[in-house]
Amino acid sequence: MNDAKLSVRAALYEAPGPRTKRRIVSATALSMLALAALLTAVLHRFYVTGQLGARYWTLFTRFSTWRFLGQGLAGTLKVALVSSALAFGFGMALMLLRLSAARLTRLLGTVLIELSRGIPTLLFIYFFFLVAPQFGLKLPSFWKIALPVSLSAAGVVAEVLRSGVNAVPAGQTEAALSLGMRRAAVFFRIVFPQGLRFMVPSLIAELVIVLKDTTFAYVVSYADLMQNARVLISNHDALLSVYLVVAVIYILINYLLNRLSVFAAAHSGTAGAARI
Amino acid sequence: MGIQELLSRFGERYLLALLTTYRLTASAFALALLLGIAVTVLRVSPIRPLRAAAELYVQIFRNIPGASLLILLVYALPYLEVVLSYYAAVLIATTLIPSAFCSEYLMSGVNTIGAGQIEAARSLGMTFLQIVRTVVLPQAVRSSVLPMTNLLVATMLTTALASQVPLNPTDLTGIVSYINTHAVGGVTAFLISAVLYCTTAVILGQLGSRIDRKVRVLR
Repeated sequence: MNDAKLSVRAALYEAPGPRTKRRIVSATALSMLALAALLTAVLHRFYVTGQLGARYWTLFTRFSTWRFLGQGLAGTLKVALVSSALAFGFGMALMLLRLSAARLTRLLGTVLIELSRGIPTLLFIYFFFLVAPQFGLKLPSFWKIALPVSLSAAGVVAEVLRSGVNAVPAGQTEAALSLGMRRAAVFFRIVFPQGLRFMVPSLIAELVIVLKDTTFAYVVSYADLMQNARVLISNHDALLSVYLVVAVIYILINYLLNRLSVFAAAHSGTAGAARI
Repeated sequence: MGIQELLSRFGERYLLALLTTYRLTASAFALALLLGIAVTVLRVSPIRPLRAAAELYVQIFRNIPGASLLILLVYALPYLEVVLSYYAAVLIATTLIPSAFCSEYLMSGVNTIGAGQIEAARSLGMTFLQIVRTVVLPQAVRSSVLPMTNLLVATMLTTALASQVPLNPTDLTGIVSYINTHAVGGVTAFLISAVLYCTTAVILGQLGSRIDRKVRVLR
């Protein structure tokens, strides 16, 4: 995958001649100047508005700040892991419905998957935050964020699992059936384990979506990274710097997860698609 | 509250909310396409610093959570004396994130073409721009119909971020919290919004796969 990417990119240009080489060099120099100017302009904006002032940034030299952010991050990771596990369970159930032999359950599976994929996570969150309590369903804030996030991811997980299962050659099923195995045994012992390797990259990529969705935890006041950032902000009166640092933390974690997904894809010979 | 009572009290608001969501989705998607194309051009350009900057752009907006970006735009930018209207902030957030994914899809669309075709075109004596215009782009556009449909649906789902700022009229997600704070809308208010989102997503998906079947390059 990566090789193909490089070669197409490289193939677009033939080896540059002396004139093109000079042009590329001057364009490179110009673009570096332009980027430097952009960076300077941004830093200047920070400077004239006083946002570079020490009091906004010294809090990040203190251990207590990082410990507090770390506690928030632990909350984020906890809710993300539980949501992912739930999403895997729900997704598995939806996939089984969708692949079942009976037409009615298949239809139910399709409808539920479309619902899960077609509704924004925030709407699910409002359901558990505003609507469910009216029916006397009082959940702790952890579940008010974990349940909607997992429900919203379940549809995509179901489709990922289904395409993994479909990628296993039909001959495997036929061979297992001819050995006298039952349908359920064929699925769970032959087809699914082989399909799993096609699913892993996309499932890791799905973790990124779950992690991003957990940032809405502030809606239900669950103590995640974002919520702890808010506390830090009110303690130190440093909004811009704290939110910037928190954004960078999220970006780094998601970036690493995406790299892991690409790595897994390279090892299983499949490609995980990027998803919003 | 029954569906009839709800619609008679809030029907007009629902219509406005649906239109707000559609308007945000359409403008964000159009802008994201333009930005995505521009970023992709930079990513395949032979000028290294621009390539690196475009790559950084994609990694940032691919990986930043929507809530985090919106909060930065709405609450942090004023500290830099850049004040955006709520609508503008939502529009920017829902443009930047899909634009990064747009570029990713275009890049993988370009990659499906294969270096051999480009080499063949060059051996016919075609120039760079001729190759891009007659070999690369037509195939890349055709093979990116499905990803772009998914992107459109994903953009619509991202516009739910609009419910996090006070907008008037609210979007389709915001109206659920509006109704639930002004009356006991219960499950009906949620269901109406859910059905509207879902129906739109399914229709867009069907349209996309129909177009895809017509224009797809069979390999």
